[in-house]
Amino acid sequence: MAQLVYGKVDGYIIERLAKIVGDANVLTEPHHRFMRASSAAPFPLHKWHVHAPDVVVLPGSTEEVSEILKLANERKIPVVPRGAGTGLADGAVPLRGGIVVDIKRMNKILEIDEENMCVTVQTGINNNTLDIELKRYGYWWPFDIASYPCSVIGGNLGTNAWQLGAAFGHIRDLVRSMVHVLPTGKVIKVGEGGGRKISKSSVGYQLKYLFIGHQGTLGITTEATLEMFPRPEVEFPAFFGYRSFMDAWRNALKIAKSGLRTLATHIIFDEEKIEALRRDDEAYIPLPDHIKSVIATAFYGTEAEVKGAAEKIFEIAAKDGGIYLGEELSEGDWASRHDRYHITYHGRHLDGQVGTYSWHCEDAAVNYSALPYVVKKWHELAKEWKQKYDIFDDMGGFYYNNNSFKQWGDYLSEIDIFIDEYHLTEELWQKWLELKRRIAEVVLEVGGSISAAHGGTRPGDVELVVTKELDPGVYEIMKMIKRNLDPNNIMNPGKYLLDSAYEEG
Amino acid sequence: MTTAYTYKPWLVEKWKDDWVPEEVAIDCYATFACRHKFCREVCPVYQETGNESHISYGFHVALLSVSRGYEKLHNLGNTFTYCLQCGACQLRCPNTLFTGDFYRITNEHNVLVTKTRNELLRLGFKFKGSDDMLKAINQIVKDTEEARLSLTEWAKDLDLPRYGETILFTDYFMATQMTNILRLIAKILKVAGIKFGIIENPKPTLPYELDYLGEKGIQYIKENIEALKKAGAKTVIVPDPHVYVSLTKEYPRLTGSEVPFDVVFVTDYIWNLIKEGKLVPKKPVNKKVTYHDPCMLNKVSGIWESPRNILKSIPGIEFIDEDHVTQWYYCCGNGASEARTFKILHEDLSYRIGLKRLNRALDTGAKTLAVACPHCNEQFNEVKLKSKTEIEILDIFEILAESLEIR
Repeated sequence: MAQLVYGKVDGYIIERLAKIVGDANVLTEPHHRFMRASSAAPFPLHKWHVHAPDVVVLPGSTEEVSEILKLANERKIPVVPRGAGTGLADGAVPLRGGIVVDIKRMNKILEIDEENMCVTVQTGINNNTLDIELKRYGYWWPFDIASYPCSVIGGNLGTNAWQLGAAFGHIRDLVRSMVHVLPTGKVIKVGEGGGRKISKSSVGYQLKYLFIGHQGTLGITTEATLEMFPRPEVEFPAFFGYRSFMDAWRNALKIAKSGLRTLATHIIFDEEKIEALRRDDEAYIPLPDHIKSVIATAFYGTEAEVKGAAEKIFEIAAKDGGIYLGEELSEGDWASRHDRYHITYHGRHLDGQVGTYSWHCEDAAVNYSALPYVVKKWHELAKEWKQKYDIFDDMGGFYYNNNSFKQWGDYLSEIDIFIDEYHLTEELWQKWLELKRRIAEVVLEVGGSISAAHGGTRPGDVELVVTKELDPGVYEIMKMIKRNLDPNNIMNPGKYLLDSAYEEG
Repeated sequence: MTTAYTYKPWLVEKWKDDWVPEEVAIDCYATFACRHKFCREVCPVYQETGNESHISYGFHVALLSVSRGYEKLHNLGNTFTYCLQCGACQLRCPNTLFTGDFYRITNEHNVLVTKTRNELLRLGFKFKGSDDMLKAINQIVKDTEEARLSLTEWAKDLDLPRYGETILFTDYFMATQMTNILRLIAKILKVAGIKFGIIENPKPTLPYELDYLGEKGIQYIKENIEALKKAGAKTVIVPDPHVYVSLTKEYPRLTGSEVPFDVVFVTDYIWNLIKEGKLVPKKPVNKKVTYHDPCMLNKVSGIWESPRNILKSIPGIEFIDEDHVTQWYYCCGNGASEARTFKILHEDLSYRIGLKRLNRALDTGAKTLAVACPHCNEQFNEVKLKSKTEIEILDIFEILAESLEIR
């Protein structure tokens, strides 16, 4: 393999960066660099330094990003783009130091177009903040990602992010066009054909999707023109309790096929999840003991539509013994859906004591028919690891409908495993990666995909992604694209094991 | 009233350039582990700088990096200047919301900032603006010690005793710089038939900044509590949100015990009088008004209803409300300091934050911004003057007094 030799971040580079973005926006002290070394997935805190970048820059415009990439490309310095650092596939975690380009200073709304119903933003803007601004004009940004109050559009695009209300589409369905800076610093406008605000065009290759979900390996998206929605008249969450996971699973298919257009999502809580909530969730509202599994549904639309749909969903739920869990639980739980996705001191050791646990959120795409098998296998694995090493804990699973605009097909399948990150050692970290691989193997066994939402770049996943999940011909094309767009392998090097694209012969 | 506060070991233990206690490290880890960073968008400083180092997550992780040997404390000084101590982050923190009290990991960002700055100064590590910051605080001490400020002059014609079960208490700031508001409050209380006194020589209360004064800070607390006890205080009415935070949060933190009397914020007290019919606002005040939630009231003390209720009780007012949760994102730009230290550390930033808030108020269609805090009042008037923004800044009690026809 050709040895890749990277340039050093020295005084000269710092000076040039400062000329591009201004002194205040070049950060070199260790604490600035270390706080931008991790994302939200379990992090090997015992070897934090391995992932710290050499310098952090905060650009304010497309032009500045372009200049940074030109400099990095000229000097062969690794560049890792960073949105909010809330991703769960390590996309923003540097593997070889270099420059972290933190895009959050680029947080302006550039245009609100009320006639063509789209909004153009710089990609450092946060989802919730965008919605707060649109609300002033009566509009809605429906991208209901778990990290809604913290993640930013750029990171959502870079990871091909997923949302709870799949009925409104995922981020790939909500973006019309983008301004994107290629690894060489060249700026392109990519969308549907040549139209910035066009929603569908048959002109040219469909390259828009190439620049969604590349985990920062193909450049940095700096502006995006996004769909904007009228605010729905009503929001109606309804939660139902079942006597077993299998009852809930059977009922989910009936819900999926109901044809209710205002149904935004349905989510199955498995039996281990209900146990974990009973045990360790402060916001949890107690359920009767015979409730072992839950389906959450949520509706958005006009009052007349949702009223009709609500009557229907009660009928459907009852077919498999689903009991409505009441307004307080439904509305309360739905309202706090963004706040509870990770809290330390929830995981417990074998002796029952809480510990300094961090959170792993699996997000495989699994077909409906395979769910019972996967759920069983996953919990067996999680329990085995807990017993063996006593630093992992099984916090149960959620299964969300995955398909855009329709409720059927497959599910984003999430098993939550807690890891005592503060006390990690290299040996335990390796055990964790082994568990991660075993979990992913179950998914591949049933013809699923390792990640519906976060990306296939996590250690433990990535080796399987490139050797087992992706067709060899497809991975070959990925390498060709990478090599051609990023001749010096500066953009997020190491991710998707794409160094192999630069091997000689 | 009992105020919940947690007592964390870092408040007493001394740190080193390359060491913080394990309890601090684990506490910082709880924020690092979260990685939600809900403390980010809500932070008025971050909204302007776009720099994540300036949020609660950033501060905690910076200290965690010290505990792991990757960073030295002396490098953190400048970063730790970027905080208004407005309290938005600690309120929005999932640790506070869900497990805070139970596992004693409530996010106490404001105290952490004070503690870190204080340790830096103790170890001799100056940071940008630290000399001027200390100078401003010490000037207040000097003025107090030399009795340069007459703290009861404002009340000289109001015939207020220096004793009573009910005491109207404030420190030097309102008593010297917002005397018009203080006088209106006293007159409103008198109209309602409340018997109350004041104390002769209140000491500065300086929320989150008494630490910098060491023993002197503790002495001021003791002197204030003694003076209030001696005056016979059972209920203390506080018209300055910053003083209120000191009495209800900072005094217990620094002394280990609650103050021995009830502390009531003035808007709560006066709204009760209106409810009981002891005050009846009659004269219409024809204004389009929106209200600014002071950080020390809304974010730190959870008081947001009574100021709105008072405004709504005044005839003629068209009240355009921005809810108090939306206002977690806002700040006047002064921050928690009574000594205006954020303005000393970051003058331009403070101005931008204040201007943004004034523009938000105008966006609602209001012509008047009602305030309930003398520090917000001062800051907004400065920003208004500098930016030539056309908006009227009025204290709630100026509006109420007009309706009650009190001058």
